[in-house]
This record gives sequence, structure tokens and C-alpha cells, in this order.
Amino acid sequence: MELAEAKEKIVEALTKKAKSKSKFYFNDLSKILELKPREAKKLVNKLVEDGVLEYWSSGSTTMYGLSGTGKQAGAEHED
Amino acid sequence: MAKHKTPLLDQLESGPWPSFVSDMKQEAAVRAKNEKNIEYQIPQDAVEDLLGVLELSYTDGTTHWKHGGIVGVFGYGGGVIGRYCDQPEMFPGVAHFHTMRVAQPAGKFYKTDFLKNLCDLWDFRGSGLTNMHGSTGDIILLGTTTPQLEEIFYELTHKFNQDLGGSGSNLRTPADCIGEARCEYACYDTQDLCHTLTQEYQDELHRPAFPYKFKFKFDGCPNCCVASIARSDMSFIGTWKDDIRIDQDAVAGYVNGDFPPNGGAHAGRDWGAFDIEKEVVGLCPTECMKYEDGKLEINNKECTRCMHCINVMPRALRPGKEKGCSILCGAKAPILDGAQMGSLLVPFIEVNKEDGYAAIKEVIEAIWDYWMEEGKNRERLGELMKRQGFQKLLEATDIKPVPQHVQEPRTNPYIFWKEEEVEGGWTRDVNEYRKNHLR
Amino acid sequence: MAFISSGYNPDKPMENRISDLGPQHYEQFYPEVIKKNKGKWLYHEILKPGVLVHVSETGDEVYTVRCGGARLMSSTLIREICEIADKHCDSCLRFTTRNNIEFMVDSKDKVDLLVKDLESRKFDGGSFKFPIGGTGAGISNIVHTQGWIHCHTPATDASGTVKATMDEVFSDFQDMRMPAHLRISMACCLNMCGAVHCSDIAILGYHRKPPLVDHEYLDKMCEVPLAIAACPTAALKPTKIEMEDGTKLNSIAVNESRCMFCGNCYTMCPSLPLSDKEGDGIVLMVGGKVSNRISAPKFSKVVVSFIPNEMPRWPSMTAQIKNIIEAYAADARKYERLGEWAERIGWERFFDKTGLEFTHHLIDDFRDPAYYTWRQTSNFKF
Repeated sequence: MELAEAKEKIVEALTKKAKSKSKFYFNDLSKILELKPREAKKLVNKLVEDGVLEYWSSGSTTMYGLSGTGKQAGAEHED
Repeated sequence: MAKHKTPLLDQLESGPWPSFVSDMKQEAAVRAKNEKNIEYQIPQDAVEDLLGVLELSYTDGTTHWKHGGIVGVFGYGGGVIGRYCDQPEMFPGVAHFHTMRVAQPAGKFYKTDFLKNLCDLWDFRGSGLTNMHGSTGDIILLGTTTPQLEEIFYELTHKFNQDLGGSGSNLRTPADCIGEARCEYACYDTQDLCHTLTQEYQDELHRPAFPYKFKFKFDGCPNCCVASIARSDMSFIGTWKDDIRIDQDAVAGYVNGDFPPNGGAHAGRDWGAFDIEKEVVGLCPTECMKYEDGKLEINNKECTRCMHCINVMPRALRPGKEKGCSILCGAKAPILDGAQMGSLLVPFIEVNKEDGYAAIKEVIEAIWDYWMEEGKNRERLGELMKRQGFQKLLEATDIKPVPQHVQEPRTNPYIFWKEEEVEGGWTRDVNEYRKNHLR
Repeated sequence: MAFISSGYNPDKPMENRISDLGPQHYEQFYPEVIKKNKGKWLYHEILKPGVLVHVSETGDEVYTVRCGGARLMSSTLIREICEIADKHCDSCLRFTTRNNIEFMVDSKDKVDLLVKDLESRKFDGGSFKFPIGGTGAGISNIVHTQGWIHCHTPATDASGTVKATMDEVFSDFQDMRMPAHLRISMACCLNMCGAVHCSDIAILGYHRKPPLVDHEYLDKMCEVPLAIAACPTAALKPTKIEMEDGTKLNSIAVNESRCMFCGNCYTMCPSLPLSDKEGDGIVLMVGGKVSNRISAPKFSKVVVSFIPNEMPRWPSMTAQIKNIIEAYAADARKYERLGEWAERIGWERFFDKTGLEFTHHLIDDFRDPAYYTWRQTSNFKF
């Protein structure tokens, strides 16, 4: 899959759900991309590097979200 | 003069054990004086305020920290834990006070230059407080502000050739025992395996794509000094296949009282004269030893390599020469379904430095492929094994089942036979059946 | 304080970025005698508590002096450690997995000076900076977590409970009179960053009250589905709350009887705090081990279900710990770990000998494994 296609799929799927939640597990992303985890990882890494996605970490678990979305930034005083 | 009064914490300065309160006060004073004219990049009184917030917790019995999940360094999903004080106006010096995990060198050996440089950086851009080390093994830099995170990472990588450690759904910074560097029991080079795999799997360590955390720990022998069997998803425990090496003269030395048993570990009490029958032969869990006519004999075929006899008589007994490691999988702390100990997956595997540990990597990568595909969100490998059964792990790694894999065979006959395992398969003709069985 | 750039350009984070370096190579940090004798060690001996010699087949020897340390350590103290290593140990040192500091020298005549130097150093408050010990059949340093110093879900402090406990058992840090080594660990909540589940004695912080729900702010600060998903026991569900002024807000309802007090929801949502002065305290667990020696590794078992937090020195907790240690020291056989002793004499006898009260809280009722911890034989002791 090309990066542009991956980006489109991810942005579309995450935007659709943005009303209820802004953070997603890696598994959710590989399902959106319909790829095996290792393949999905390469694209997801690139999307993080391009600033499309950003991480959110509980310390023990990591989640992904569209950069700048969600309520966390406000709650964590990082907005 | 201290910024905050700390009457409760002050009571933790007395007593013989090193007082973290005294150390924090010492650091607060050094920062206040600033004899080195450091241009502090986070509040100079951060340590004073940390003492203040801790005193508040000692007074009201509750924490005053909030978690932060956003902060980190660009492109890494781990290595930084966000922390914010819930009383920022009372303690502005620690309002934003994030932790950074710095990957520790294998074996935790250091030269002072490295540590001093790290201290310089941390005084300049952070609180000057650390944990040496965190529970997983990293050097923990305790407390800095958000703008400093990238600056610290830049300096670490550009000046010190040094990286952050892991957190989140990553491979966590692997940890090892002292191993061959200073231990006669080590059955493989724990430092080299730990370092090589840490380098090999940097992407897995920094860019989270696992269902949850994943830990490697490397123990050189079954004494398990880094607790790999209890604390790591994959535990590499040194072992051997051939005979325990015996020096009969040294055995006699122990019997005659020339050497203290257990390397002198019991010298604090008079346990009476060393009794090889009672203390070694009699405590052998497999009863595979005997001591007759001044000679110690071991039926090595029956030995399970528990290390007891070797621990008691290190000068007389040594692990065999055909060394390698066992791999156990699935250990974790209790949350959620209860604690799990590692389960033996690979009874023996060679630890081959020459080929870059190819055989070990093959097992690791097969397990990751399986767990990444099958693991639910926030499911540790051990929980996946529990949910799907040990057989699935054997299938995923293409390892043949052997009796060594189990404590005992199953106590129920509810075997989930697969169709291909049953002669003739499952497709049958009901009409054919009815020829002999009326409706 | 003026901001001083490292060279990093926030507008172009990938410019000159270096990543994936990993840790330093271990070998550059080895003392010479270690480098030369790695893999060649023949045997070791503990010369006195905290001082070890390892002898190599080359005839070389390395003497190690082990000191306890608080894992919370200032850069000032690390510099002092460096100064000691520069003076005595060719600028080399190491840390152990139990937060001890090890100074190594290559000949016996260097040991006494090093020991004297270490023993002479004290903090202004009077405690030792570098107490020597933690070897053999004694009590080594406590591995622990952050506690109130830096964590958002602790039910107690870590550094304080550890300091209080180590002061109480200090003579056994510097002695080797125990039947076997005794490992104490501390974790400040049930998530157990400190993985205390296999320790001879585990100190565990525990909450007993479910999270408070800050309805007014919850929907502003948190995403309800994420907070709900964070709960491992599915005790949270979405709800609508009507405030006094009639406004309706999205919020979360807690099924309190399902809550296991882990704080995972608070990690995700700051409007669900759970710390509480009366609710929070200490659980003691005993009898775990990680070594495969003689018997298989074991989990620790809960023997004291709750001790209140008593700042700053937790006297009830340290008294219970001391009591367990003395009962074990008096009754166990040489080489027998605490858990092996308890299993040999039977847990009913363990409660006799320690005088600890057995309560319904100590009987497992959490999911599957619980059934197999009940007594399934007619053999027991009166």
C-alpha cells in the first residue's frame, strides 16, 4: 500500500470516530489498513514521522491519534 | 533556609539507611547555591518544591501527581512519562515534572566520565534527581519540563551517543544479570546477548506496535538474579546439558572445613560443622547425588540443574561445558488475571555469538508475529498463551511438544481434536449412518 | 533563566535527528580485571558482609564492596560515587538490580582503604551514604517503585516505606544470620511496576475506595469511551448526570463492587481520582522467590490484608515485617527460603508462629486460580 492511500484511510476512519474518541490502539489501525501488523507498522511509523498521527502513552500502553485532536491536550495542560 | 517546612520528612533523616530526604535536601542546597553558575533550564528550586509536595502527601496521605500521555520526543512512542503536579501554584517548580528513561548499559557497569556527563546534562536541563535504576532497569531522570525533552534527547544522542529506553506498548529496555563478567555460574554471556538484541530491536523498543508491553530479561543461570522467570515475557535462563564438573579435592576441602560453604553466605550464625550429607546430598531435589568413601557422585541424567549443590560448593562444583539457555515465556505481574511465572518453551538453545544469535532471534520473531496478530489490546503474551493454550505457542514457533513442557499432563480429556487429526475427517453421510441406526 | 538551545530545531524535528542508538556498549565500562577475566571466574567467597572476592583461573582476583543506596539519587551523590570510584577503582563502578552500588578493586590491599572511606561518609542528617552489606544469607536492598515522589496512582509512598523498613532491618543488611537470603520488594499500587509478586516479603500499596467521579468536569477533560475501555474489570459505563442547575452532562458511572482499585481509569482520565487517606494503605505478601534452587520459583502470598499508612515511618508495618523475619529466622532450616519454610511447616503453622491474624480477606476469591488455593485434602494441622 502506498503511503498516501494509508494516510487517506487512517484520516478518514479516525475522523469519523472523532466525536466519541480520539485515541486508538495499534491493532485498530492495522484493521483500518487491512494489513498484517508488521506491514501496517511501517506505514504507521511514517505517518507519525509526517505529523499525521501522534502517540498517547499511559506509561504501560500506547495509543495513536490524529495530531492535536482530542481532549487530552487540554486536560494535560499541553495545549 | 528551606523553602517549605518538612517536619514529617525530616523524621526520615535519622536511622542508618541512606536517607533520600537528606540527599534531596543536599541537592536542593547545591542548586540554591549554584557554585558552578549553571544556567538552570528548569526552576532552580524544583527540588525544594518536590520536597514540599512530598511533605504534603505525607500530611494528607494522597498523591499529588497527574499522568500525562502526550509528551515525548518526536517519533518515539516511549521513553518519557508525563507528570504534572495537582498543586502547581503551591509548587510551581514541579508543575511540569516529566520522567525520562535512559537505556542503561548491559550489566550496569559504568565509567565515571559517562555518569558525570549525564549529571552535568541533568543538572542543566532537569531536576538533578535520578533513580539508579528504575524497576525495568533504565536510568531514570526524574523531573523536567516539556520544552526540555527534545533538548535533552538531542544532547544525549549528539553528545553522548546515548538513547532513551522503552515505555508503553514497546519492547522494554532489556536487562541482564552480571553474568560471565563476574560470576562463575553464568552459562552464557548475558551482557552480549542483552546488548545485541537491544540494538537489533531498536525499532520495536521505540515505536510501539505491540498489543502491550514486552520484556526480555537475561539470567546467566537458574539462580535468576534478574528475576527473568517472574518478570519477563521472554526469559533467557542459562543452563547446561552435560555433567556438572567436580573437583573431588575441593569437595574434601569443604568436608574438612577448609572452605566455607555457600561462599561464606551463612557466616553470620554458627550452624555447626558443614555436613555434606545433610546440606548437599540430602537437599538435592532429585536425590541424584551420593557421597561415599570421600567421593561425591552425581547421576547427572537425573539432575534438573537447580544450582543448590553448586551454590553450596562453588570451588568444587561447576556447571557443565555444553552450555546454552532455556527460554521461558509469559511471565508477568498479577494484573489482571493473577501473576504468571514463565512457562518453558525451549528447553535448550545454543547461545551463539558467532552467528549473531540467529536461533534465538528466530524464536523471538515467531513469537512476536503470533502475539501481534492474535493478541488483544493490552494483552500480555502470557495472557494470550492462557487464552489460546500452550499448543498455539508451540505451533507458532514450530516447536515439537515434549514432556519437559509440562508439570504434568492434562487432568481432563477435553482435547480439541482437529479434523485433520482424526482418521477419515469429520464429513460423514448421515444416510449411510441411518442404514444401521433407525431414526 | 534564558532558554539555551541544544541545537535542536523545533520547526524541523527530523533535521539532524539521530535515533535508535540504544545503550552504550557494555565493554567500554568494564574494569580492566573484569575485561581480562570475563568468563574465566572459578569461584567466589564473601569475606565479610558486603565484601566479596571472585577468583579467576588466571589467578586474578577482583574484590567487590557492595553498598546499599536509595534508588532515588541526586546528581550530587552520583558525583560523590564517581569521586570514590576515581580514587579507588580506576573510575569504574556498577549498580546491581537491587539498587546497590558495587565498587571493585583488583587486590586485597586496596579493600580496607575503600571500606574505610565508604564507612566514613554520612549525610548531614546522620544516615550512612554507603552502608556496606547486602550479601549472602542476609537482607539485601529493597527494590521499589516511585510512590508519592512521582507517581499518579500510588496508595502509599515508596521511598519512605523502604527507608523505614531498611532502618528496622539494618543489622541484617550488615549480617548473614538468616537461614537463606531474604528479599524484600515494594510496589506502591497493584499494578506492581516493582513486580513484587515473587519476593520473600512484599510491601504493596493498596487502594480500597473506588474512584471519585468529578461529573462537572469529566466530559470536558476526558473522552468517555477511552476511560471506560481503560477499566480491566468493566466496572465503568457511560451515564448522563443532571446537575443542580438542570444541565445534563455526559459522565461515567462506577459499578463499585466490581472495582479492583487499580487506578487505570485515572491514568486515562484525571476526573476519576482514587487516592484517599483512610482508604489507602499497605498489604504484606510473603513466601515468593525467583530462584530455581531446590524448589521451583513461587509467588508471594497475602498474609496481612491491610495496614493503614502511618507517615512518616509506618511503625505498624515495620513491626509486622520484623515479626515475620524473626519467626522465620528462629524456625527455618539452613538454606530454606521463607516460602519453603512456610510450606514445610504448613501455612496454618505459619500463622501460629508469626501470630498474624488469619481473616477472610486472605482466602483467594479472585477468578480461576482461587479454587486451587483452598485445602483439598483432609491433611492439616490443628
